Amino acid sequence: MRLTALACAALLAASLPAAAQLDFGRLINRAIDSGKKLHEANREYTPEQEIALGEGIAAGFLGAAPLDPDQDLQRYVNRVGRWLAMNSARPDLPWTFGVIDTQTINAFAMPGGTVLITRGLLDRLASESELAGALAHEIAHVVKRHQLSAIQSAAGTSALTDIGKDIASDAIDRRGGDVLGLKKWGADAGLEMLKNGVFLRPLDRSMEYEADRLGVLIAARSGYDPYGLVAVLQMLAQAKGDTSGISVFNTHPAPADRLAQLEGFMNANLDRYASQPQVEARFRRAISARR
Amino acid sequence: MSARFLFAACLAVLSCLARAEEQAFTGRATEMKERAMADSATLASLAENTPVKVLARGGGWAHVEAGGKSGWVRVFHLRFPAVVETSTSSAGGLSSLGSALGFARPRTQQANLATTGVRGLTEEDLKNASPDPAALRRLQSWRADRGGAERFAREARLARVAIEVPEEARR
Repeated sequence: MRLTALACAALLAASLPAAAQLDFGRLINRAIDSGKKLHEANREYTPEQEIALGEGIAAGFLGAAPLDPDQDLQRYVNRVGRWLAMNSARPDLPWTFGVIDTQTINAFAMPGGTVLITRGLLDRLASESELAGALAHEIAHVVKRHQLSAIQSAAGTSALTDIGKDIASDAIDRRGGDVLGLKKWGADAGLEMLKNGVFLRPLDRSMEYEADRLGVLIAARSGYDPYGLVAVLQMLAQAKGDTSGISVFNTHPAPADRLAQLEGFMNANLDRYASQPQVEARFRRAISARR
Repeated sequence: MSARFLFAACLAVLSCLARAEEQAFTGRATEMKERAMADSATLASLAENTPVKVLARGGGWAHVEAGGKSGWVRVFHLRFPAVVETSTSSAGGLSSLGSALGFARPRTQQANLATTGVRGLTEEDLKNASPDPAALRRLQSWRADRGGAERFAREARLARVAIEVPEEARR
């Protein structure tokens, strides 16, 4: 009987959809009208526009993926994330972290400081320093405005929708001082970016590697053992398997490549911080309360 | 599907999820140290591709068991193969946990836990999603403030460290 239950659990686990990738934020392959290309490529989004856009994306995202109901867990993840973000170059964004209730293994960064991590990833972590490694990678994407860069670099590559035109237009600037107008624009533009179906467009490989390096640096500056992300990537290498035929993996750096990229950087800069806390007990309490 | 196979599959999945005892290989020739320090005594020299059992992690080091000995190895010197088997890849039977873990198996038979993932879960879901502003407000109600985050850090003895890294190294 017990064997059967275990077997069922195993089969269930093996059949669960799970994408072992930690690269996100692959929002946005927003095409920009070629006539607007130069304008868009040089556009500087104000922090208010960035935040409104990120909130629009997040609201759409949450329409598809429910939040984990455990509020203590949500607050726990927010404290870890906020502490990390306070030790980043953009400590004053309205940083917001959330756990979404899906077995997919992933995490997502929205412009402006909203970061979502899946329960599937959280369940496979072993310590707070590993959680910190995953969140800090996302924070690094936001700090470096990688998603916004992806919008800009996509300029001129394909047709433009109405919302795309709106993004590229000066209308946003006029709405800058209009809070309701800005929120409306952010909600519309963010949702359009989800519905457009380009969410899987990967960020540039170099951005992922940069987010890994900056992520371990942020974790170390926050007092964590910076090797948490290394443990996460090694876990992903195991969970991923030989998925060479799967495009979502083809278009992203493999965990092994990311580890290879990190090794020299960490050996040169972060080895002396390796004995900083992993904070396993608090992590286990936060996780087990929910299970 | 035999009970034996199911049991092996169980072990494989559980060992993957729990991560209490990760199976790994040395990714290069390396040394097993008595402690997690480069200048600690060397207990054994491990050739590339030596199977090891990871018992714990500490900073850049992993506490491992190999060849009847246990000691510390650099985490970057380990590689972690995929471990989960699919139910269709059991043609030869899974006669041991070792095979269930994918040791010495052809790559084509290695399992694939992650076949759907973001695309399977979110692409269609996201395309069809209706925005949920109430959920966003709920999410935002859980934000931590600076003071709370600082107290939280102190509780775990997390101290802010000034670390300067050359800009070119970060890019």
